[in-house]
Amino acid sequence: MTSPTVIHSVGLPAPRADAIGKVTGGATYTADLRLPGTVWGKVLRSPYPHARIAGIDTSAARQVPGVHAVLTGDDLPPNTRFGRRIVDVPVLAQGIVRFIGEPVAAVAADDEDIAQRALDLIEVEYEELPAIFDALEAIEPGATLLHPDVMNYTGLPAPLERPSNVVTRTVWGTGDVDQGFRQAEWTFDYTFTIPTVHQAYIEPHSCLVRIDEAGRVQVWASNKAPYNLRQQVAACIGLPLERIRINPVTIGGDFGGKGSPMFIPLAYFLAKATARTVRIVLAYAEELTSANPRHPCVAQVRVGANRDGTIVAYQARLVFNSGAYAGFKPAGFLPGAQHGGGAYHVPHCKVEALGVYTNRVPCGHMRGPGEPQSIFAFESAVDRVARDLGLPPLEVRRKNLLRDGETNSLGHRYQDIRAEDTLNAALEAAGWDAPKGKNVGRGVAICERAPGGGETHANVTLHADGSVVLHTSIFEQGSGSYTTLQQVAAEELGLPHDAVRVEVWDTDAVPFDTGVGGSRVTRVATQAGAGAAQQARDLLLQRAAQTLGWPREQLTLAGTRIRRNDTGETHSWADVIAKTGSPVVGGASIKDMGPAPVTGFTAQVAEVEVDPETGAVKLRRIASAHDVGRVVNPMGIRGQIYGGIAQGVGYGMMEELRMDDGRVTTASFADYKIPTMADMPEVRIVLLESESGVGPYHVKGIGENPNAPTAAAIANAVEDAVGVRIDDLPITAEKVYRALRAKRQ
Amino acid sequence: MTTEPRSVNVRLTVNGTPREAAVPVYRTLVDLLRYDLGLTGTKEACGVGVCGACTVVVNGNLTASCITLAFKADGATVETVEGMARDGELHPLQASFIEHGGFQCGACTPGQLVAAKALLDSNPEPTEDEVRRWMSGNLCRCTGYAQILDAIVKATAAREA
Repeated sequence: MTSPTVIHSVGLPAPRADAIGKVTGGATYTADLRLPGTVWGKVLRSPYPHARIAGIDTSAARQVPGVHAVLTGDDLPPNTRFGRRIVDVPVLAQGIVRFIGEPVAAVAADDEDIAQRALDLIEVEYEELPAIFDALEAIEPGATLLHPDVMNYTGLPAPLERPSNVVTRTVWGTGDVDQGFRQAEWTFDYTFTIPTVHQAYIEPHSCLVRIDEAGRVQVWASNKAPYNLRQQVAACIGLPLERIRINPVTIGGDFGGKGSPMFIPLAYFLAKATARTVRIVLAYAEELTSANPRHPCVAQVRVGANRDGTIVAYQARLVFNSGAYAGFKPAGFLPGAQHGGGAYHVPHCKVEALGVYTNRVPCGHMRGPGEPQSIFAFESAVDRVARDLGLPPLEVRRKNLLRDGETNSLGHRYQDIRAEDTLNAALEAAGWDAPKGKNVGRGVAICERAPGGGETHANVTLHADGSVVLHTSIFEQGSGSYTTLQQVAAEELGLPHDAVRVEVWDTDAVPFDTGVGGSRVTRVATQAGAGAAQQARDLLLQRAAQTLGWPREQLTLAGTRIRRNDTGETHSWADVIAKTGSPVVGGASIKDMGPAPVTGFTAQVAEVEVDPETGAVKLRRIASAHDVGRVVNPMGIRGQIYGGIAQGVGYGMMEELRMDDGRVTTASFADYKIPTMADMPEVRIVLLESESGVGPYHVKGIGENPNAPTAAAIANAVEDAVGVRIDDLPITAEKVYRALRAKRQ
Repeated sequence: MTTEPRSVNVRLTVNGTPREAAVPVYRTLVDLLRYDLGLTGTKEACGVGVCGACTVVVNGNLTASCITLAFKADGATVETVEGMARDGELHPLQASFIEHGGFQCGACTPGQLVAAKALLDSNPEPTEDEVRRWMSGNLCRCTGYAQILDAIVKATAAREA
């Protein structure tokens, strides 16, 4: 009725809402907080992958001047564990350690160095137990059971028939694969292996916990799902929800990794023991050795195809090595594992994902949980099938690509399928048909993901000084949610986006917010921000009608003025608020949990040049096309895409959290290499906009997709260049060199 | 037995202001800045001098403050991200990072900005390739670097204009 017709904000590039603090050093991250009387918490970690703790002597550590508390598992109530869903992660080991790096004891001291000296004085007597590192060994019948009590764990997504290292088994698909394989003219079997990688956000996990004068637990933490965190911490420490408050703070990157309680419950127990504010900040070596990296995976794939390239059946068994605990996954399993062939019509498909306990670092979520693994397998398999059939991979891809009206490999039917348009856009941007030099190859991969659902809340307050404040329950971690909220609120008010100031509620403010993840924020936050602004606008116009004696139906909001359309008169809205005394507050609570009716496709083309003598792969270019609905912030979405691709390039070519008998041997950024500016190739982005998104601005998600198909596109390009295929990530010069040598012999 | 570490007095000039602190001999420069002087703009991430988050300028040289002992900076001139804006006016690089999307979570940004400023101070018109090589000591996990590169190149262009 009164929607402004002029777009002021949505669709235009918007600099970040938190820009000034972040470029001046003023933004406050958890580790920057200074509260009086804070003591430092530090953790003693297990040097053994699997052992019984026979005894711990902390007496010398307690004598160190400046030490306020020393805790071991014996000081905590029995079974003090946490989990995002499956509650199996001990706050401190109680009797058994299950990975190298597991917390065994903790110290709170005046400073970090004193805490470290005290840790060095703790004597732990271990009795080693047989350890299992390989998930395929762990699932063998008769393998040592790493969690004999698993049947009793709370939060198992499905009950177990018997104790097993296979803590979760999830199956997705459509049709009947057995029938499909009978129908298919050819059947192909492939195995792909994918290593552990780390989210590698620059800010390590950190928290501050204080028990205040009222006995409430105050938490500041690098965590992007504060309302879930509050529930998880409450359940772990045995306090009611209302006794815990999570306070907003700047979060220095997440990529899925910062959604767990991690050591926040431990900081609480230290705060309780010391009656002081406790701060724990991980050293980066602790990050890489103990903080929920992405799951490694062995993907055993069978494809049934006809000689014309039609894929009749696809079956994948994805064995995810969960490490010592499963509690770092919000669903207990990895939902993204289903997406491998989501961009295709496959009449018979079965994807089985196992979550398996081993004695390695427990794994968690990273940017599309299960997707990069599953999509690498499917998109590598498509090229392998094509080459085994003697067909061009692009032709096989086109033949099976999802089209309007069809169900995908999971049996989902989405509206407005744009798979082929997206593929074509990527091919065009890549110059797919342009001549290639010697040893140059191009590979393509495609995937899809629908925006997730969630719950969020927003208020928009109009003040007498003309300022506009948007309150949100979202704790953003860098991806730009606050800017999106600014833009949609500004849009509804007819103001430039930076006229809206964003403030973040602590967890006392609203009942629940799902937290950042799964590309749900753009979907739900655009509804909340716009809804709150619309309500504020309507309340303001009502108030203006009463105050000015103007007819309500003639009033519209135009920037800083209220306009009376029949006379053309205008009046400052700030003045209306000033005259009436109290600010105008509009609010919106959005609970939009269901599956989205649309999905978003991403197609990427990698161009590589391979040195046939050394196997070195030079990544020359990535072209990346995205089916995005309407773009809210062109600068923000491109930033997400560039960043996702860089993580995909790392995943494809460089990164591996290497382990030697369960010990992470790449325990610093000197050894765990992520792409630098010099490593990144030219990236060509194509945004395919349409009206087929969700919410008032027709949006889709972008967080996960850009990093998911990159590794497969690179693998496919390497084969196109020199005729060897690497099925084992990352694709390093050594692997290509060996494959080239094997091929020549 | 543990012994009390020896304390040293460190005097230095930070962003033009003389500062002084008594710190243990093992105190790193990043901790001196962050905890003793309250300048938390400089971040510590890897702790081993390879990620660039803690980058500051000491006596004109780019320095990883996480592997520099504080007492080594006694008598030195230190520049941090907090010193880049002058009289409420952002440095052209800061403005360009904002305008071109050169950061997301912001954790690496102080180091990126200090490193980029050192580049432009010594080489006011770097080629794109020179920027890529110079900045390869500063890791970023959010941006994929494209918009950082763009921000630095365009800040150079803005200076020339």
